[in-house]
Amino acid sequence: MSARLRLSLGRSFLIARRELIAAFDSAIAPVAIIVSLLFVTTAFMNGFFLAGRVEMASFFARLPLFLALLVPALTMRLFAEEKKTRTIELLFSLPLSTGEAVLGKFLASLGLVVLFLMGTLTIPALLAWLGDPDGGAIVSGYLGLLCLSAELCALGLFFSALARDQIVAFVAAAVTGSALILFGDPRVKSALDGLSDNPHAAPGTRLAEWLSPAGRLFEFDRGVVSLGSLFFFASFTVFFLWAAGFVLDRERE
Amino acid sequence: MIDVQQVHKSYGGVPAVRGVSFRVKPGEIVGFLGPNGAGKSTILKMISTWHAPTAGRVTVSGFDTQIDALEVRRHIGYLAEHNALWETMSVRAFLDFVGKMHALRGAKLAERRAWVIERCELASVLAKRISACSKGFRQRIGVAAALIHDPEVLVLDEPTHGLDPMQVVAFRDFIREIATAPGHEKAVLFSSHILSEVAAISDRVLVIQDGLLVLDESTKDLLARAAKEGVTLESLVLGKVVAAKEEVAS
Repeated sequence: MSARLRLSLGRSFLIARRELIAAFDSAIAPVAIIVSLLFVTTAFMNGFFLAGRVEMASFFARLPLFLALLVPALTMRLFAEEKKTRTIELLFSLPLSTGEAVLGKFLASLGLVVLFLMGTLTIPALLAWLGDPDGGAIVSGYLGLLCLSAELCALGLFFSALARDQIVAFVAAAVTGSALILFGDPRVKSALDGLSDNPHAAPGTRLAEWLSPAGRLFEFDRGVVSLGSLFFFASFTVFFLWAAGFVLDRERE
Repeated sequence: MIDVQQVHKSYGGVPAVRGVSFRVKPGEIVGFLGPNGAGKSTILKMISTWHAPTAGRVTVSGFDTQIDALEVRRHIGYLAEHNALWETMSVRAFLDFVGKMHALRGAKLAERRAWVIERCELASVLAKRISACSKGFRQRIGVAAALIHDPEVLVLDEPTHGLDPMQVVAFRDFIREIATAPGHEKAVLFSSHILSEVAAISDRVLVIQDGLLVLDESTKDLLARAAKEGVTLESLVLGKVVAAKEEVAS
């Protein structure tokens, strides 16, 4: 690794560290994570004891929409608050590029989501204690959730860079993230396909294929990790991070 | 060294700064005077790389603010107009964070931190959160952060805002001392809308009105001219400002 890249990553890690400390200083992040963990674990356990199957399919199917709400709560303040309190001018008076700042804040928000996901590991641990779950499907399911979290963090960061108000950033990111996931739902897909008179147009199917992470996540849940899916999440994540940087640079011109 | 050449800045087509040029040499303290909304902060923001000029060129220590923004930020200590700080950080954590962003580590960071803590008299609030500090302390924390990396250029927007009279006097001496320290001379540009303050501390006075630089003269010459014409410094500067306003209006 070149010295220049090491210094650049070092600055991003400094930003990430500062953000993580700030997140735990305010009550929002810890409360959001703890309440989410309680809710998600309780909801899974109810279903698990009713169905009596040692598998996590229902968990992996429901969590994406839940993450579409949780992640914006963790990302909403990252740039919107800096703009509102004017500390953004202080931030960019430091020898730090926009990309380094965006990456640092992205890493901090992803760190918080990883913390939440680690908290849910009590579920597979319990399943392993009670029976013999498919370990490969669980690992790939978690990898899928991690990929989705990265995309949602980047999306949340973009809206936080765009908005001056945290609530606006939260609502915009939550609605967009949920919509992207719901585009992959078969009912939404067929409803959107039905809107077009041209049977070959199939707008719902196209939206689901091009934009929705739902189909890709379904592959992960079945234990299939394809390069195409990894590329899909990586490209969306990079795009939203770039867009966040672009918005921040444009605002200063 | 700060070099501002024919700089223009417009917001949505409305001109805020119009063809301003000046230089600040190492060891020189220049006071930037003008009423609210005259364009002082806009120029300081362009020097700090926060805003891009619509036209013209700004260089700091030889680096163009548009081409080498990060290099400019390494050579500049900047105190923004509202001095917004990260409220939840402790003073010590804040200074460490800013120092580390300037690539200070280990003994060098400890040395610089100790220096700014001593010079800005922050020892009593070191463990406190910034949000718990008084306005005067907050201003000194902002100045300490601007100085921690020992920059060649200091750009301070309303640095004495919130300081009590004793602190203002101490601050003037402090700025004079750090600007002229042998071997460590700094180019200092600071803004104010109090003429007496600018005259007391600066070697040169710049006056801006409606985005135009209407006066660029050494403090000594200005005082001599005021004495010769038998007018106060205030009325001399005010005359310039009124003439500029009339010129803009016509």
